[in-house]
Amino acid sequence: MGSLFRSETMCLAQLFLQSGTAYECLSALGEKGLVQFRDYLVQEINRADIPLPEGETSPPAPPLKQVLEMQEQLQKLEVELREVTKNKEKLRKNLLELIEYTHMLRVTKTFVKRNVEFEPTYEEFPPLENDSLLDYSCMQRLGAKLGFVSGLINQGKVEAFEKMLWRVCKGYTIVTYAELDEPLEDPETGEVIKWYVFLISFWGEQIGHKVKKICDCYHCHVYPYPNTAEERKEIQEGLNTRIQDLYTVLHKTEDYLRQVLCKAAESVYSHVIQVKKMKAIYHMLNMCSFDVTNKCLIAEVWCPEADLHDLRRALEDGSRESGATIPSFMNTIPTKETPPTLIRTNKFTEGFQNIVDAYGVGSYREVNPALFTIITFPFLFAVMFGDFGHGFVMFLFALLLVLNENHPRLKQSQEIMRMFFNGRYILLLMGLFSVYTGLIYNDCFSKSVNLFGSGWNVSAMYSSSHAPAERRRMVLWNDSVVRRSRVLQLDPSVPGVFQGPYPLGIDPIWNLATNRLTFLNSFKMKMSVILGIIHMTFGVILGIFNHLHFRKKFNIYLVSVPELLFMLCIFGYLIFMIVYKWLVYSAETSRVAPSILIEFINMFLFPASETNGLYAGQEHVQRLLLAVTALSVPVLFLGKPLFLLWLHNGRSCFGVSRSGYTLIRKDSEEEVSLLGSQDIEEGNNQMEDGCREMTCEEFNFGEILMTQVIHSIEYCLGCISNTASYLRLWALSLAHAQLSDVLWTMLVRVGLRVDTTYGVLLLLPVIALFAVLTIFILLIMEGLSAFLHAIRLHWVEFQNKFYIGAGTKFVPFSFRLLSSKFSDDVA
Amino acid sequence: MLEGAEFYFNVDHGYLEGLVRGCKASLLTQQDYINLVQCETLEDVKIHLQTTDYGNFLANETNPLTVSKIDTEMRKKLCREFEYFRNHSLEPLSTFFTYMTCSYMIDNVILLMNGALQKKSVKEILVKCHPLGRFTEMEAVNIAETPSDLFNAVLVETPLAPFFQDCMSENTLDELNIELLRNKLYKSYLEAFYKFCKNHGDVTAEIMCPILEFEADRRAFIITLNSFGTELSKDDRETLYPTCGKLYPEGLRLLAQAEDFDQMRRVAEHYGVYKPFDGLYCFFLPQVQMNVLAFNRQFHYGVFYAYAKLKEQEMRNIVWIAECISQRHRTKINSYIPIL
Repeated sequence: MGSLFRSETMCLAQLFLQSGTAYECLSALGEKGLVQFRDYLVQEINRADIPLPEGETSPPAPPLKQVLEMQEQLQKLEVELREVTKNKEKLRKNLLELIEYTHMLRVTKTFVKRNVEFEPTYEEFPPLENDSLLDYSCMQRLGAKLGFVSGLINQGKVEAFEKMLWRVCKGYTIVTYAELDEPLEDPETGEVIKWYVFLISFWGEQIGHKVKKICDCYHCHVYPYPNTAEERKEIQEGLNTRIQDLYTVLHKTEDYLRQVLCKAAESVYSHVIQVKKMKAIYHMLNMCSFDVTNKCLIAEVWCPEADLHDLRRALEDGSRESGATIPSFMNTIPTKETPPTLIRTNKFTEGFQNIVDAYGVGSYREVNPALFTIITFPFLFAVMFGDFGHGFVMFLFALLLVLNENHPRLKQSQEIMRMFFNGRYILLLMGLFSVYTGLIYNDCFSKSVNLFGSGWNVSAMYSSSHAPAERRRMVLWNDSVVRRSRVLQLDPSVPGVFQGPYPLGIDPIWNLATNRLTFLNSFKMKMSVILGIIHMTFGVILGIFNHLHFRKKFNIYLVSVPELLFMLCIFGYLIFMIVYKWLVYSAETSRVAPSILIEFINMFLFPASETNGLYAGQEHVQRLLLAVTALSVPVLFLGKPLFLLWLHNGRSCFGVSRSGYTLIRKDSEEEVSLLGSQDIEEGNNQMEDGCREMTCEEFNFGEILMTQVIHSIEYCLGCISNTASYLRLWALSLAHAQLSDVLWTMLVRVGLRVDTTYGVLLLLPVIALFAVLTIFILLIMEGLSAFLHAIRLHWVEFQNKFYIGAGTKFVPFSFRLLSSKFSDDVA
Repeated sequence: MLEGAEFYFNVDHGYLEGLVRGCKASLLTQQDYINLVQCETLEDVKIHLQTTDYGNFLANETNPLTVSKIDTEMRKKLCREFEYFRNHSLEPLSTFFTYMTCSYMIDNVILLMNGALQKKSVKEILVKCHPLGRFTEMEAVNIAETPSDLFNAVLVETPLAPFFQDCMSENTLDELNIELLRNKLYKSYLEAFYKFCKNHGDVTAEIMCPILEFEADRRAFIITLNSFGTELSKDDRETLYPTCGKLYPEGLRLLAQAEDFDQMRRVAEHYGVYKPFDGLYCFFLPQVQMNVLAFNRQFHYGVFYAYAKLKEQEMRNIVWIAECISQRHRTKINSYIPIL
């Protein structure tokens, strides 16, 4: 059996890891991703009646040289980085201060110039300024002297600063300002703001103190003010050289910083991965338990049987790598617990498996619908999306994705694009199948294509093309009829008009017919019912495979067969009638053909008035079918519960080999059968068991009966409602065809009608709009809706016939699952 | 305010009210406190706070973590929220916000002056100042030597200026005078705030007035309690009482005459609100309750005040718990005041 049909057989294995080598062994396993670890703790908590295993403490971390090395390396790097950054910050601050100082010197020079200009006038009129002069001399006498404070202040604070100065010093100060042309960085906040240079001249020490305090309060950057021109020049020169020096130092520091960072960047990725892997390993080690001697760790793992060999080798590799004397080894242990489900997929089947898994992960070893979904899903989609123009566009898009699937940008794409990318193979098949159904429907952007020449001949309808003897029997056309009537009907019974069916799909002539929709509806409706019933019947048949595999033959006779009979006797017969009518009635006899609908209703109603049926003896056949249907219902309702009851009470009566065992959990039955019949004790369900005990259900007839009744009601009603549900195939395909037809008539036809000279100009935007609307409405929107309906048909109508989907997924301990995550983290 | 103010309250203040109600939801719950109390170290406290709306506000703190670091960061966080409210507010809500900050500003000014008196450097004390009451002129406080100096030079342009009318004197600023100044400022501040809320009318008045009355009474009790055994005369004491509380005028007069704790309690027990009077601790819980109840009404400014106060109480709780943890003094760790 292909691995896609059923999940892989699993076995429970016990790994005995020597404590020294556990780390290496697990890392070897992680690289391979073979096994799923069972968490002891979680498990034990789940079944609270069992005491916790004694060795649940986490094992001591093995001393790993590499980790220490890494840690050391990182610490060194960090210290270095921190130091360099701190230095850099300090240098920057220093540089900024120096720059501020030079600016201040430059600006205050202009203040002083102004003062110098004032001074002569000041001296020219000493007699007039007697008071102030007196004041001045008084002050000098008191030992007060003229002082200067200069510095930079934040632009926003200037006004408040000046007011405060005025209020506190009562006018004993002179403040001069100038705005700096270039904004500078604030060393504290790193913001770039405008600054003002100020110069305060004051008299007296007391006031000087206050001024300084106020400067502090407003966070001014105060710099010493040079008293003489020479001093100023000297300072300025000194500053210039220092700034130059600082610049070079700063550059050097930055270069060094960059080097250090580059070095760190090189190893960052591998470090992150290593650390994550280590974390994962320790996490797994936590799930292990000590054995009695405390010498080795015991891990319980699920492993696919096919991979046991690889598992052994990985363990050997791990032991060899760590240089341990005693190798780690493994044991398979029998178990009655349900193993996880593993279905190996490749990039093609993955998408389909995901569709199925979204409904529910399959129970262990049950038939996996994904295998059939690969074909049925795109096909049902295409039935609803039948248009080979649209299908081809979709196919091309998918093909583009498939051909470029190794492109790194596509792999890391986000959200919607990622969705498309992951489903690229589904899209590809959907496109292909749409091309096929489009050919059948003969729909290309809502237009039909005449590939093989129509099977209808219009000219044969004219009376002139027939012999006069024939003319009398038939309704034929002549010039006046053609001219006068608005609608003309081709009559296939006239010889020569219908020359035989079109080789593939719908005849293109229907595209011209006014009753095209009626014709197509009838066709599509019948087609959907036929497809639906085949699909569902197939589902029931798959159920038989499940029963065979799980060795529950009675289910086949008591459940699947009645189900099949019920379905086929009603709806199978409906299909038969449809096909029969297609084949038997021709154009000549079409007028006497009975309506299938009426016939089908009459099958249940037994009407008094006899209708002329489809075939002779129809009534008896229908009675028989109905009887079979009616009989299959009670079997379906009561068969299985009664049989189980009989098994339970009567035990080994008629060669039922495994009489005692019927009532074990459904999931675990298979393992029991693997154990062999000698393990199964006669009479009771208490199993002899090494490590785990079995959970047995009490035989509860009421419950079984209830379940079966519910299931049967659901199935019988479901047969009708699900068949109706398949009519969505018709409805959506109709909607799609009509929508594309509307788009054509409202856009392109308008564009094509404009006369030839200007039409070209109009046609260009019209075509562009047509293309855009086609893609967004018809391809994406309609495609999504058809996709959803196809999913629904699979999940509900198909899978509920056989699929339980109550399994758990096999999640191996694998580094690959990790690594996909942290490439995002690092980026 | 006009009739039917609730109809257009949301036009100007709806956003902020919604915001503050959202912020209120982020207050720590009983469960959070239970978790916090069980912490062993400050690191645990940090981890627990990370799961609340505080988020990783301590992420940038260098080790070792101290209680004061937590406190500072929490204050900063509150301040950020408050600044956001304030920057987005319209009149008269912005005036209301200014009134809210005034109490912190008074505390800061007094703190700085005390610091200057003890010759501590401004920088050292600035760290201790509450960030909500921060203003630029603040650092120049130590220039002043008398209250009038202080007013004329430093505070004349701040929102505190109007409260200075009653305390202009040429006394030098010693410790007692500073304390008197604080109480005088607070008295006029509370009265002004009360008047503002009363004039505003509407739900705001209905909510805020009881809260402020309660606050005024609380201060009166504090002043009385603190003045026992000091040289403050009874008349002086009476001038310090805020007059907008429930105690005014009878209770305040009686309180001014009180000489010890028992007499004070007798005064308190005349009033039903303060009936089981057992020191100042009993004020916290009713205050929290009042602030929580403020959230039951809509279309008023009281929610902002209440939120700030609740947040402050929460911060006090966290600091208390953290303090208990860091000093390994767990017996009293449960005596925080839960916010309902």
